[in-house]
Amino acid sequence: MRKVVLGLVSAVLVVLAVSPAFALDKAEMVALLKELDDRQRNSGDYNAVVFIDAKEKGKTDVSYEAVIYRRDDDDKLVILFTQPKSEAGKGYLRIDRNLFLYDPSVGKWERRTERERIGGTSSRRNDFDESRLAEEFEPEYVGEETLGKFTVHHLRLTAKAGADVAYPLLELWVDKATGNMLKAQDVALSGRLMRTSYYPKWQKMFSEDKKAEVYFPREIQIYDEVEKGNKTTIVMRAVELKPLEDSIFTKAWLESKSR
Amino acid sequence: MGVFITIAIRNLLQSKRRTAFLGLALSLVTMLLILLLGLSQGISDNLIGSATTLSAGHINVGGFYKITNSDVSPILTGSGQLMKDVAASTPGVERIIDRHRGWAKLVTETSSMYAGLNGVDIKQEDRLVEVVHLAQEKEYREGGSAEVKGDVGRLSEPNTAMIFVAHAKRLGVGVGDVITLRTETLDGYNNTVDVTVVAVAQDFGLLSNWTIFVPKQTLVQLYQLKPDTTGAIMIYLDNIEDAEPTMATLRANLLERGYRVMDHQGSPFFAKFETVQGEDWTGQKLDLTTWEDEVSFLTWILTAFDMITVFLVGVLVVIIAIGIMNTMWMAVRERTAEIGTLRAIGMSRGRVLFMFVAEAFVLGLVATSAGAVLGLVIALVLNALAIDIPVDAVRAILLSDTLVLSVTARHMVESVAALTFFTVAAALWPSIRASRLQPVTAMQHVE
Repeated sequence: MRKVVLGLVSAVLVVLAVSPAFALDKAEMVALLKELDDRQRNSGDYNAVVFIDAKEKGKTDVSYEAVIYRRDDDDKLVILFTQPKSEAGKGYLRIDRNLFLYDPSVGKWERRTERERIGGTSSRRNDFDESRLAEEFEPEYVGEETLGKFTVHHLRLTAKAGADVAYPLLELWVDKATGNMLKAQDVALSGRLMRTSYYPKWQKMFSEDKKAEVYFPREIQIYDEVEKGNKTTIVMRAVELKPLEDSIFTKAWLESKSR
Repeated sequence: MGVFITIAIRNLLQSKRRTAFLGLALSLVTMLLILLLGLSQGISDNLIGSATTLSAGHINVGGFYKITNSDVSPILTGSGQLMKDVAASTPGVERIIDRHRGWAKLVTETSSMYAGLNGVDIKQEDRLVEVVHLAQEKEYREGGSAEVKGDVGRLSEPNTAMIFVAHAKRLGVGVGDVITLRTETLDGYNNTVDVTVVAVAQDFGLLSNWTIFVPKQTLVQLYQLKPDTTGAIMIYLDNIEDAEPTMATLRANLLERGYRVMDHQGSPFFAKFETVQGEDWTGQKLDLTTWEDEVSFLTWILTAFDMITVFLVGVLVVIIAIGIMNTMWMAVRERTAEIGTLRAIGMSRGRVLFMFVAEAFVLGLVATSAGAVLGLVIALVLNALAIDIPVDAVRAILLSDTLVLSVTARHMVESVAALTFFTVAAALWPSIRASRLQPVTAMQHVE
């Protein structure tokens, strides 16, 4: 009898030892993702100036300046490049889950996919847009880990069927204390690691429309894991949450900016 | 007749060394001819195999749609009814399928390239599934496993792709990775779509270098086409040799049904854009081609190879013919006294001539037969070894990754007959000279 009890106790201890400590259940993970999305979503409009620095192995570093316009309620996004001069007027428009690129040098619109390298850098559309993690991914708990000095939840997200995402798998590290996303890794279906992104600085500001605070990453560092040595840094500045004109989210407006 | 053959064999055996050298030379030339013909036939078989699997049916009903004189789209509208009409108008059909056609830039994280797109309904593509072999991961990825990953059947899923090893290597992708397809739509704006690689197939000759397969729906989405359109209807016949006459029958039947059909041009559809653009008509016209028309840009390989074969074998045959003539002259000279005796006891000139010709015939027949059999054995051994061709350029020319020699019975019979004929022809002049010797002169001849 004593042996049986000891055996059972040992088995329980082994199970506890191999289980992720304080694992989140499905509902808690979805709640965590919703929280991440909700923090970054503004029920009104959003605009910001972004600086994109791209370092590519064997090439001269390139710096871009662009303006981002977001209307989260309608899932609309505009990225308008303003610097350098050679790229000024180039822009992206996302409407109805379609991402269009306008290149003033050829005067033509092109429909691009979610994998589009914005401005040829390692950044993607979703780096500038609102977060839709809960809507687009199914979470799985990997474990509680330490990332530098932070204790984090490590989640593995798999894209839902029909979700329009750049990569089907996403590894996410979320700060347990603040609920901020600190690190993300984009993974191809083959298991190949494509990008690693770090979110070292988060900022928040009060939104009149939302009647709550809106979070945004002040800086994103993106490491290209396929072309090792390539790195893109996105810095957000001059974030404003004031209402934007409807005409901004049209092809005509973007075309007019290069005239 | 039997006596002459016996005499010929005895004479050949009497001059063993000479017979052996000449026989060996004839055998080697025959063997070489058989191998070259086998290689040429192998290229031809590969061409037919790859063409009719990757890019064409035995007969193809393609066509162009023109909104204005200069707006040319290589599409067929009303494809459902057209398929039915084509099926009803074509005799000797094994099966009919349709595919969308396209041309796009393939973009990955590390590289890009252009390739032709085949939009397929994988449920129709039994032959493709049967003929195409998936590659082991190590064939396209450094440090990859021997596992064959992927499944052609997954082409039934939207936005998927089957690529070939050459593409996988160049684009740095494997099964599960994503490729962005970028192309200009028929309306003139650029569109893109992401496809997930669901299978990597072994290369299938030169054609597979610029061909990938995606579901039809992906091409419809990429080109913004209506559902009732297609690129080409591909007809597979019970006998590929009937392609030309069947195409003529189909043309007549389609014209009778009221379809507008373009004049036949023996070139692939993508080579006709400029011509069609310059023609004064709008709407839909059908374009009928055979598989040979669709790969006519590759038949130069066969022509060039056949020319090399003819030249090489021709030179060798001339050398052998000189050898045979020389040998026969020697034989005549050695046996001049014998010829005189035979003539003196009543043998006619014709029989003397026949005696020497029979000698050349026996030598030619035996040596070339042995050479043909040797060639066949070598070809079978080489095929069994499945020798990989390491050089890309040679692979491209031979349209295969491995050395394939396809020796047919017809090749063997024709080679033996042709070279035996040349042997006999070469021996004819010395034999005629022998038959014209005066018996008295010949008998007095002292070696």
